[in-house]
Amino acid sequence: MDEMESICFQIISNAGTARSLLIEALQEAREGNFDEVENKMSEANKYFSEAHKIHGKLIQKEAQGEPVPFSLLFMHAEDQLMSTETIRHLTKELLFMYKRL
Amino acid sequence: MNILLVCSAGMSTSLLVTKMEKAAKEQGKEYKIWAVAEADAPKHIPNADVVLIGPQMRFWKSEAEKLAKPYGVAVDVISTVDYGMNDGPKVLRFAEKLANNKK
Repeated sequence: MDEMESICFQIISNAGTARSLLIEALQEAREGNFDEVENKMSEANKYFSEAHKIHGKLIQKEAQGEPVPFSLLFMHAEDQLMSTETIRHLTKELLFMYKRL
Repeated sequence: MNILLVCSAGMSTSLLVTKMEKAAKEQGKEYKIWAVAEADAPKHIPNADVVLIGPQMRFWKSEAEKLAKPYGVAVDVISTVDYGMNDGPKVLRFAEKLANNKK
């Protein structure tokens, strides 16, 4: 597997796990298990940071003048990362609502 | 053995399928391995022996188990690390173990 493919897969895998954990947090909130919600959220943050760290390295690489090869897979990886970011913000807001109910 | 992989869109998982098929072929195993999106999964589950879920769909596991139970199909989630490494041989072993545990 070439390096870029490996980087893409690491982003997809970490961002994807984070996204699943965010949805699991919402499912726990639905049942009123707020301790478990906190666990899921902190785990989600861990995976999300990891995905961002890997992505950040690529941005630095490009900023230093090293070209980053483009592919559909890389676009997919960035797509996963951004959708997780959106879901993360919305999950936080939804959790405020669940706690008020 | 029939191995079904499920993820949200079926895109990255289809690359993992290629790696798993290669690993199976090298080991002289005739497996059917394919990937589908979650929305299409219900009609594919009856044809599978095991269902592997991408880590991005882990929250879907309990629903998948409900769908798979009537057909005696085993379900589990691929680990974030193995998925991230796109490790075909390791995920293939995981599928075989899952199938053996079921028996």
